[in-house]
Amino acid sequence: MFQNRAEALALALPAALFAAAVFIAPVVILLSDGFRAPGGGWTISAYTEFFSSSLNQAVFLRTLKLGVLVTIVAAVIGYAAAFAIVSLEPGKKGKVTGLIVLPLMISPVARTYAWIVILGRTGIVNQAFQALGISEAPLRILFSETAIFIGLLQLFLPLMIISLISALENMPKDAIPAARVLGANWFQVFWKVILPLTKEGVVIGGTLVFTGCLTAYITPAILGGSKVLMLETLLYQQVTVSNNFVAASVIALILIVMSFAANILLKRVATARNKTMRNTKGTAQ
Amino acid sequence: MMARNLFIPITLGLVITFLIGPFLIIVAASFSAGETLAFPPQGFSLRWIAKVFTVESFRDSFYMSMFLAIGGTLAALILGIPASYALSRYKLPGAETIRTIVSAPIIVPGIIVGLSLLRYIVVPFQVGITLALFLAHTALILPYAVRVVSASLGNLRSDIEEAAVLLGSSRLGAFFRVVLPNIRGGIMSAFILGFVTSFNQVPVSLFLSGPGVRTLPVDMIAYMEIVFDPSVAALSALLAFMSIGIVFLAERFLGFSRYV
Repeated sequence: MFQNRAEALALALPAALFAAAVFIAPVVILLSDGFRAPGGGWTISAYTEFFSSSLNQAVFLRTLKLGVLVTIVAAVIGYAAAFAIVSLEPGKKGKVTGLIVLPLMISPVARTYAWIVILGRTGIVNQAFQALGISEAPLRILFSETAIFIGLLQLFLPLMIISLISALENMPKDAIPAARVLGANWFQVFWKVILPLTKEGVVIGGTLVFTGCLTAYITPAILGGSKVLMLETLLYQQVTVSNNFVAASVIALILIVMSFAANILLKRVATARNKTMRNTKGTAQ
Repeated sequence: MMARNLFIPITLGLVITFLIGPFLIIVAASFSAGETLAFPPQGFSLRWIAKVFTVESFRDSFYMSMFLAIGGTLAALILGIPASYALSRYKLPGAETIRTIVSAPIIVPGIIVGLSLLRYIVVPFQVGITLALFLAHTALILPYAVRVVSASLGNLRSDIEEAAVLLGSSRLGAFFRVVLPNIRGGIMSAFILGFVTSFNQVPVSLFLSGPGVRTLPVDMIAYMEIVFDPSVAALSALLAFMSIGIVFLAERFLGFSRYV
């Protein structure tokens, strides 16, 4: 450890000042716009106005719903996939993990674009449905919540799987066989052994996936079109179509609050479950 | 244990198909001979891959994205390496605050970063769009640069540079002759992570576009809204192979995944 304070500040301050000037100051001013009253002073009327519109309510609820749904489904699939991967032999494990990580290197535009080919009117899914006689006319899958859901899940699933792989690897190796020997069924093993021991991984993965869904622009823009909006695409429309910067500021703060709330809530849930576990153990003894 | 034996390959097969399948379809569609984007591709040709190189706006926005990814990452490293060094080797008052400020851009949605830069830097200070994009991408990469470089400084014993200083080297000389050669891998990894992040970034650049100034992914979105031919698929496939190639080489020669 070097003690020279002036030297340390000279090294660290350029980066901090840069981030403060280019990033923090403009963002803070933007967020304060939503609270400015037209004649001077402060007000929350922009927020009450925003939430009084039924379109905005629908967009807000859709964003929340898709975020929660994608996170839950990603966690379920993520557990199955991570569990399968950690039980592979070391050589294969590295290769399969590589395949899971690979999509993260590919541009989200490319990854989202692929779903147009798959889900479009003449896409693979509709071709298959018509060939199998499930539907007569092509179904409208693109530009719907379903399409956005699929796109977001594919975009963020790798993050959940990676978080869960490291959580499962850090779990004591004999925890599962021990629970099985003591008579737990697979459901109990998951709920009472695996989940509590890997909760940190779920919290990290869940925060990454949920925040990712909130802040994804490309997926709702390409797969939702201009009708099925999420908060990000609504923000973009408010700026480019309506020139409404106050509404944009309101949406911006809602997005930031939602990401922080999700992080805190997930941490809470993880610790609360732990307490109940300890309490039940207490009564059992 | 029959059920268990089937569980692993079926689960992994489905998950990998879901994650990689769409990308393979894009690659296949880009070899199509047909006029519109379709799968299975109609015939085989290289015309759409060839077309990518003739679209002028793609070429301009590709250079712009390359400039931002390389220039932005270098700038982030020039700011980030000294900051990481100060944070890991000095007793610094307010170290946590500095760390939070420097890594803040990762927490806030990119679209908000882009919009606030447009409103409060570009418009009031008459900053050009290219410079604004450069500043935005630098701010965006800075958290990654600090995180990766800090991690690799953390793995390096600090007593070797203290020894160098005791043996008469200047502090600066010790940094360049002892520390820097030892964290080269970390710096290269930070560079690659920053490059890929910046190159694929859309929301930050969305509002920061002007006549003839656009990043490549934003240009691709604009193009696909007007034209529905396989050229965007071809370009997507080419870019994907570029990213994968870079990361593959980085893993091969640097052990990239150790740092990220």
